[in-house]
Amino acid sequence: MSTSLIPALDPAPLPGPPWLFQVLWVLTFFIHLLFVNTALGGTLLAAFAGAAGAGRREVRSFFVEVNSWGISFAITFGIAPLLFMQVLLGRFFYTATILVGWAWFGMLVLLTVGYYLNYVAKFRLRAGKDAAAVVVLEAACFVAIAGIQVTVNLLHLQPGRWEQVADRAWAALGDPSFLPRFLHFVLAAVAMAGALAAFVAVRRAARGGDAHSLQGMARFGVKAALIATLLQLVDGFWLLLSMPEDVLRAFMRGGAATMAPLGIGILAGVLLLVVLAQISDPLAQATKVRRVAELIVGAMVFMIVTRHELRDVYLARARAGEQVTVAPQWGPLALFLVVFVLCVGLTIYALVRAAKERPSPGEEAA
Amino acid sequence: MDYPIWNLGLGGGVLIGIVAIAHVLVSHFAIGGGFAIAAIETLAVRRRNPAMRALAKRSSLMLILVSTVFGAISGVGIWVTIGLVQPAATSALIHNYVWGWAAEWGFFILEVATALIYYATWEKVKPRTHLLIIWLYFFAAYMSLVIIQGILSFMLTPGRWLETHSFWDGIFNPGYLPGLVLRTGICLLLAGAYLTLAAGREPDVPVRARMVRLLAVFQVVGALLAYAGYRWWEFALPGSVKAIFLGSKPLLAALASTRHLVLWALAAYLLVALFALAAPRFHRWPTAVAAMLVAFAFFGGFERLREGARKPFVIRDFMFSNGIRVSEIADLNQRGVLAKALWAARGSAASIEAKGRAVFRAECESCHTVDGYLSIRALVAPVDPDMLKGILSALHEEGKEYATGKYSHQGHVATEKLDYPLMPPLVGTDEEQEALAAYLLTLKPSHVAEASHVN
Repeated sequence: MSTSLIPALDPAPLPGPPWLFQVLWVLTFFIHLLFVNTALGGTLLAAFAGAAGAGRREVRSFFVEVNSWGISFAITFGIAPLLFMQVLLGRFFYTATILVGWAWFGMLVLLTVGYYLNYVAKFRLRAGKDAAAVVVLEAACFVAIAGIQVTVNLLHLQPGRWEQVADRAWAALGDPSFLPRFLHFVLAAVAMAGALAAFVAVRRAARGGDAHSLQGMARFGVKAALIATLLQLVDGFWLLLSMPEDVLRAFMRGGAATMAPLGIGILAGVLLLVVLAQISDPLAQATKVRRVAELIVGAMVFMIVTRHELRDVYLARARAGEQVTVAPQWGPLALFLVVFVLCVGLTIYALVRAAKERPSPGEEAA
Repeated sequence: MDYPIWNLGLGGGVLIGIVAIAHVLVSHFAIGGGFAIAAIETLAVRRRNPAMRALAKRSSLMLILVSTVFGAISGVGIWVTIGLVQPAATSALIHNYVWGWAAEWGFFILEVATALIYYATWEKVKPRTHLLIIWLYFFAAYMSLVIIQGILSFMLTPGRWLETHSFWDGIFNPGYLPGLVLRTGICLLLAGAYLTLAAGREPDVPVRARMVRLLAVFQVVGALLAYAGYRWWEFALPGSVKAIFLGSKPLLAALASTRHLVLWALAAYLLVALFALAAPRFHRWPTAVAAMLVAFAFFGGFERLREGARKPFVIRDFMFSNGIRVSEIADLNQRGVLAKALWAARGSAASIEAKGRAVFRAECESCHTVDGYLSIRALVAPVDPDMLKGILSALHEEGKEYATGKYSHQGHVATEKLDYPLMPPLVGTDEEQEALAAYLLTLKPSHVAEASHVN
């Protein structure tokens, strides 16, 4: 692998211990991914749901409504992992993005269009109008963004491919791992969104909602999650086999540290499939529906850890001999922690107040 | 310089400018709008005034669409753009200010959450609860400005950071407080201008006039604060920065013109705001739109001024606009710039012109394109070979001024005394300098004509 084009390490010291950046990166990426999966998978389900059939309109309305704020949180929680990743791997990341510069920049346009289309769909649905075409376009924007993200991700891991991509940008899509990795990402999003739809339908039914349409919504969600997980198991092995041989070998030789998270993630996926296959009447099997949601979140956690470890394996040779200096900025770090705790606390406080302080009948409302 | 160069016909700086100006307009509106809506709803609750309540409600959808949608995306957009155009500077900033940005992110979570809760709870919560939410929103939005202003102003006036490399010295740099006052004024004047447009939809004329007068107070206070902050900001700039656009013979006439535009736009805005205060009944959509446009002209002009005044640096006295650090000039003069600029150096061994092209890519292409923005072909057209060599030698010599200058909080080098105060010095070996000259001469029309004739 040619590593001669890797930019030099930034001479400024790391402003905190590397492990702390790793932890914050993984943690915030997990939260980011929860919203991303809801936005991407939810929009795809809303596009596929159509309006005919019991519960289909509910699925579309649910995701369009949730995404009107969920996309904001996907973006907001994307900022933090982007920050922490740049501290550790900026030289790989910047190079990868520059090599596919227009696509990376175009992601902003797609995101803006996709988000505003979601608002168009929301207002159309609220007015009782059809929003199928709008939602399909929105889904296309988000799928394209997923493709760009996967491209940059694979490229930043493999400096040996940079020169080829610099000469011909489309070569970025020629990575044998591109398609299985892209599918892995999209299928996970669809599975999580399906589980979410089923979970919400069960909760709404428990609160006295229309059982017929909610049963339809829950069934649609379970079916989507089942198909996506089934395909995921096949795609997961395709992804493993598509990786460069040296990377796969090094990963397998990593012992419990690398194999345990992967193994648990796969096991969670298999269990998920078993539980999903057992659900025939979601509203009557609320516990199983909840179990599905738990297993998906669990699988995500272990797969994110695996993804993180895999990155280290990919970059091991390129980062060999990296002499990182560390000069922690304890005061600014404390500032961040205090602000973070304060802001999360105030957000919860505002949510609780908004939920509890409803005006009584006859009392003035805001 | 260590990175590949993203080729843009319009110039990377221009793209950063477009994205940054769009974002700052939106983000400052989001802060000022939050304050104005909070103040108006507070008055509406206290006075039991349904018209003011309606104005707050009408304006809140725009706040959501602007702040949580476009504000969030364009904020990420700045990251994306500066990472593509100025990766070395982005990396330097991240290494110094990651915790500052992370703290700002904490406030941003609160800002987005409260904006969404606020809009979703109209008619659904008690009035005081609703007020609590919008005031929390304003607190979060303003605090994110309090933090980010430190990083923005650092790039032009790094002050004592140049000596200490301390986070706090960098944040509380000489331009910090003046810029904060200026930006606070901008938040108010942008919000006042927009909400006046929204108030125009009120059908009851006396009620509308009262609202317009109230909003005119925001506008007048905003304009005065912005003016005070602007003057203070100019006063706080080091002499070498002032020389670029101030004085009887500014170094960059275009930037001096921008400064005039900025001040005239602010004066025009103040006049419209005073008109609204004195005759609110006659302040309808044409004058409100005019106020909005001059507010945009003022703020956009100021941002252009702030960016332009950094020349030839991207981080003043620390890193030039081509990504070369002041501290590495001596080393690169010895080793050669192509020893570091590995991406630019690809294919440079083929000929002396190819080597010169590589040096151009490494040192010049972050600002100059061959035929587009700041076209180098147009610049070398009137220059003869001896003159070109003279210019390059002078640029190379200026590198020594930077390399031997002493850091101080007043600035590193008196750039205005240099022959080429707006250009980074030419760094590298004599051989690279000759190669650059050879390449640039191939761009002259006479050379192209000769080459065609030979063929």
